[in-house]
Amino acid sequence: MSGETAPVPAGTPGAPGAVERLHVAGLHAASDAVLSVRDLNVRFNTENGVLHAVRGVDFDLLPGKTLGIVGESGSGKSVTSLAVMGLLPDTAEVNGSVRLLGTELLGLGDKAMCRYRGNDIAMVFQDPLSSLTPVYTVGNQVIEALTVHNPTMSKHAKEARAVELLGLVGIPSPRDRLKAFPHEFSGGMRQRVMIAIAIANNPRVLIADEPTTALDVTIQAQVLEVLHTAQEETGAAVVMITHDLGVVAGMADDIMVMYAGKPVEAGTVDDIYYNPRMPYTMGLLGAVPRVDIAEKSSLVPIEGIPPDLVRAPTGCSFAPRCPLASDACLAGEPALSGVSGSPGHTAACIKSDALDGADVHEIFAAPAVPVSRLDAIPRSGRKAVLELRDVKKHFPLTKGALIKRRIGTVKAVDGLSFDIREGECFSIVGESGCGKTTTLLEIMEFHRDQDGEVIIGGLSNKAAAGARTTAAMRRELQMVFQDPTGALDPRFTVYEVLAEPLETSGMARPAIRKRILELMDLVGLQPDHVNRFPNQFSGGQRQRIGIARALAVNPRLVVLDEPVSALDVSVQAGVINLLDQLRAELGLSYLVVAHDLSVVRHISNRVAVMYLGKIVEIGDVDRVFDFPRHPYTRALLSAIPVPDPHLERSRERIILKGELPSPLDAPTGCNFASRCPVFAALPAAQQEKCLTLEPPLEPEQPAAVPASSSPAAPGAAPDQQFACFYPDGELAADLLVVHEPGPIIHQNNPHQKKKGTP
Amino acid sequence: MLRYLAKRALTYVVMIFLTTSAGYLLAVSTLQPALLEQERIPRPTPEQVVNSFRLKGLDPTLSPWERYVDWLTGILTRWDWGRSPNGAYINAEFGDRVWISTRLFLAAIILTLVIGVALGVYTAARQYKASDRVITSYSYLVYIVPAPIAYFLVQLGAISINETVGERIFFVTGISTPGLAGDGWARFLDMLAHYAVPTFAITIVGWGAYQIAQRQYLLDNVNADFVRTARAKGLTRNQAITRHALRVSFIPVAQSIAFTVPAIFAGGFFAEKIFAWHGIGSWSIDSIGLQDVNAATATLAYGSLIFAIGAILADFATTLVDPRVRVQ
Amino acid sequence: MTNLFASDPAAVAQEAKIENDDVVIAKSRIILRRFLRNRTAVAGLAIFLALTLLSFIGGFFSGWDKEAIDPLNIGTPPSGEHLLGTSQAGIDLYALTVEGTRISILIGLVVGLVSVLIAAVYGCTMAYFGGKVDKVMLFILEALIMMPALLVVAVATSGGGIGLKKNLPSWLLLIIVLLVFSWMGTARLIRSLSLSLMQRDFVKAARYMGVPPRRIVWRHLVPNIGSLLVLDITRGVTGAILAEVAFSFIGIGIKVPDVSLGVLIGQATSQVSTFPWMFWVPLAVMFLLTGSLAMMNDGLRDAFDPSSGSIGSANGSARTGKTQKTAKKKST
Repeated sequence: MSGETAPVPAGTPGAPGAVERLHVAGLHAASDAVLSVRDLNVRFNTENGVLHAVRGVDFDLLPGKTLGIVGESGSGKSVTSLAVMGLLPDTAEVNGSVRLLGTELLGLGDKAMCRYRGNDIAMVFQDPLSSLTPVYTVGNQVIEALTVHNPTMSKHAKEARAVELLGLVGIPSPRDRLKAFPHEFSGGMRQRVMIAIAIANNPRVLIADEPTTALDVTIQAQVLEVLHTAQEETGAAVVMITHDLGVVAGMADDIMVMYAGKPVEAGTVDDIYYNPRMPYTMGLLGAVPRVDIAEKSSLVPIEGIPPDLVRAPTGCSFAPRCPLASDACLAGEPALSGVSGSPGHTAACIKSDALDGADVHEIFAAPAVPVSRLDAIPRSGRKAVLELRDVKKHFPLTKGALIKRRIGTVKAVDGLSFDIREGECFSIVGESGCGKTTTLLEIMEFHRDQDGEVIIGGLSNKAAAGARTTAAMRRELQMVFQDPTGALDPRFTVYEVLAEPLETSGMARPAIRKRILELMDLVGLQPDHVNRFPNQFSGGQRQRIGIARALAVNPRLVVLDEPVSALDVSVQAGVINLLDQLRAELGLSYLVVAHDLSVVRHISNRVAVMYLGKIVEIGDVDRVFDFPRHPYTRALLSAIPVPDPHLERSRERIILKGELPSPLDAPTGCNFASRCPVFAALPAAQQEKCLTLEPPLEPEQPAAVPASSSPAAPGAAPDQQFACFYPDGELAADLLVVHEPGPIIHQNNPHQKKKGTP
Repeated sequence: MLRYLAKRALTYVVMIFLTTSAGYLLAVSTLQPALLEQERIPRPTPEQVVNSFRLKGLDPTLSPWERYVDWLTGILTRWDWGRSPNGAYINAEFGDRVWISTRLFLAAIILTLVIGVALGVYTAARQYKASDRVITSYSYLVYIVPAPIAYFLVQLGAISINETVGERIFFVTGISTPGLAGDGWARFLDMLAHYAVPTFAITIVGWGAYQIAQRQYLLDNVNADFVRTARAKGLTRNQAITRHALRVSFIPVAQSIAFTVPAIFAGGFFAEKIFAWHGIGSWSIDSIGLQDVNAATATLAYGSLIFAIGAILADFATTLVDPRVRVQ
Repeated sequence: MTNLFASDPAAVAQEAKIENDDVVIAKSRIILRRFLRNRTAVAGLAIFLALTLLSFIGGFFSGWDKEAIDPLNIGTPPSGEHLLGTSQAGIDLYALTVEGTRISILIGLVVGLVSVLIAAVYGCTMAYFGGKVDKVMLFILEALIMMPALLVVAVATSGGGIGLKKNLPSWLLLIIVLLVFSWMGTARLIRSLSLSLMQRDFVKAARYMGVPPRRIVWRHLVPNIGSLLVLDITRGVTGAILAEVAFSFIGIGIKVPDVSLGVLIGQATSQVSTFPWMFWVPLAVMFLLTGSLAMMNDGLRDAFDPSSGSIGSANGSARTGKTQKTAKKKST
């Protein structure tokens, strides 16, 4: 960082060089650090040249503390953690210094490193589905971690410890589950096993690399809770690597933001979130929509893409994307240096001092909120573009080999009714497996034999006699897919991709060419790129191509299946802004399926919460998110981490027990009863009602509205319906978690109030 | 599981029946043993031929369909697979032939598998090093040599060794020296001398495919996430690979083994022909040369049966090594 | 958005540019380039083409043809008069080898091409219709796999084919039989590949756009299994040549008077020590043939493989999954 490249000499903790570096890095003194990394550099040989993936990382980890490393894909955060663990392939060239409890780890052979791996330093990986060996039992794999470091431990003792560990991470009946194979566990359960393996030998340092990225929000909350417990049990210091600024807000003590292989800002969690001094950090914070605030300002888009690390940057690596970049920024890469008036806070920006209190929306020139002409017309005055009436999709579940027996029915979608009006964005949210994607497919299939009626632009599926109706419907409705790479034929040029729907609709060739150029312009792509293949574009650009294809035939309704979940945060903001803008300018309606409630809150007008094939709550998005009535909605919302450390530390969280039950076991009464925090606290007499009767989806009974619970409720009946008998019931105390009271600054924030208490 | 296997077995029974029936009908309508009889000296009259064949159940005057029905009835009611034109009973000869084939291939198959898989693991561990390149190139080379020619070349090699030494060390044809007198030891040596060449030939031609497969599957797994997890626990890279990657990479290999063992077995025509071991394979070819409908069909049925057993074994092997497909 | 339906001069100019622009290298060209960069593959192709050429025009370089018997030279080693010596019947071995090579290449090409064609049609049909059709067709496929091919080859070409033999040369008979038994593996592969392609989002997208099924198969399925088909053709050609040699070697494939490499090799086995040239010459030709095909196949596989190392200057061509990041950098 200070231009010094020599690694810290091994075996001399607190050598002058190191002390000086520390001063520069400005975190903590190294003497008591359990893990101290200095000037870590990692290079890979690739076909295109030497890729300098990590370029000078310094940090110190104090006992029991948590360091969050935040960055987008390719920022070098995972490579850093693997370098610390010594798990990079032999072809990687690693320089610098990594000290664990004063011992230099870099340069140790595989065998010597094994004394520390899994013992003093352990790691939890991102993808729980592939991280456990499929052919060994879970118990076997936990015990293996014990055996490696405790060869003398008796078999009995190891088994007892394995049971204890599995119990600690919240696996029910751990003794029986020892003999289970990984495939018998869900993703969340497997991640718990991974954590059990990692903490088996009470490590001093625990590295978690995106431990919850692959999981649903409710499961993410559970796993984060388990990590918290594990940290408390072992007293380990934790390095939490993530791209999600919300996940670390409540957990981390310190944050390091990485960009292009280098830390660009480091400091305490409050420094980073409330007083960022590096435009990249500011952009990241501004690019994330908030689930807890009904702000309707545009998100901050960070244009461009990260630099190619095969070529060493000559100036600030962020300069090409930075709206504040000046000539000075291009002269040499700025080092991390202290931020004035904020001790321990460093930023790699020559303008960091001037950024105190700057408004990110101004810096990044976030576009104005687009206003649709339709927004002025009340909802009831607009035409419906899509209407679903009691749509059902049941799959028979059969068993048996020779003669198939029907052992049950999976009610993937069970009686769905809703409508979408012109110019409106309607979102469906829920955990994976709740039936939201099946709903989309049912709409897209559009044929007469469906159970229930689908009306698209006035055309009913019941009247879908022939190809003509279907073709007419296809012009009303188009779809954008989740994975922009998979949705584009790799062998088509962009021109061919965009021409396909137009040719199908019978447009003449010259008209097609003109339309394609318009479309490219519309979605913000350069028109002369139409001859390129999809793999020559970045993820965000590919998604723009997907959107352009959907808009080609001028549909009125666009169905979007997780449109931004495959994209990096900074790219995501640009696509969301584009969707907002298109809706306003073209008067489009959207049907969005998403698991990210923050995104949903940002782009939707109305929202439906699905659970096991049914809508449990539906209504205006601000109404539902600010005053959720159904316990499931409340739990879902409380599980979303918010990029606000104070709020995150102090707010009360509902941690749902268990996972989404199989739709096969759908009970007769309320589907949610088995996991419901309200149900758990109800007296037995009232529980009876939940178990026997199915709650209908209804608006709030006027008499039952307690004045205190909805202070902002307007005079007219709010647009909100829910399916619960006891929306005001007390929540079971054992399902509520508050980590530390902390200094509550946002006292007047209505979301922190305990809601739903009668 | 049992139910599943039973279902598979039933499907294969139907398939065996169909292929065998198709084979019989094809053979009975094209093979004409009567023509061969015409070449005998003294030349029998057509009436004599017909009579002789009628006695053996091979009446050439009946239509193929009538003969098919007779043949099928014989099998289903008496388990009688009929007779050859020379009067021999198929059932009797069958057992001998199967036993000879088994002796020829058993040792070779075991050696092929063990060497192939072991070399696959060895080369995967030494990817891109000289030993890997040599062994893998050899395996690819074997792929472009037709098996009978490879066997023949091995035979030539053994003969030239014999000639160089000036003593008959190896027997390149036959299963044992006829009329060999002597004690058990002499018999054992004689057996070795007869077994060595064919076993060696089949083995060196066969292992290539397993080596390439095992190497590829293991390489696919050495960088798997679960191997990384194992290393993060504190296992060395080699320990993690041998304990975790190897076991997983064995899943597809086990399946292919179960499938190809019977293929080697039933496809052993070339080896039996070249080394003059009169097993099932050479019988099937000879029987066609002799216009022997029943023998040809019997060998075909045997081949189908072996194939079906292999397919079921493959299923079974997969469930054995892969807990994910075990039926709860 | 204002110019959504207006036509301005800039757009027209843009249009013209797009029509003539050749900034993007077509995928086929990238693959061709990669193949040509692979020296082994090019050598394989050259050898194969040379052999094919020789087999057709080689006859003109020698005064002897495959039927002319030279009574003065019976079983003589290579000499000035007979380039590769003569057979025991006194026929010029060079003429025989040229003829045999042609038959072997012919069998290989016909079987390789036609069997892949059958497999593609059969496999795509199965995948496309699915359900009952798929089940029945799969059953037929498996039953055929179960049939020991060799037996049928033997029945058809030896004793049984008497009726057929009168009308058809034995090499044509062998082609037919080999065809019947060579397409099943590929068909199964194509079926499973097509099935997984049908699940891909871009095929779904086309369906939801209302693109008719036949068009989807033609525009999306076929090009995406194209590389597999090309690879299977070279593999099929090799396999057919090997099968011909193997069958003829043990005397059940091609029958005299037709010659092929397998026949020549097989005939020579009994007197290898006395007439070694009769054995080694056709064997060497066979090795050149199968070896060159294997080299080509290897190069093709490399050229088609998106993750292959031979990327070179074929910028941003075929990269997927893990290398997405690099692809990103290449776009502007």
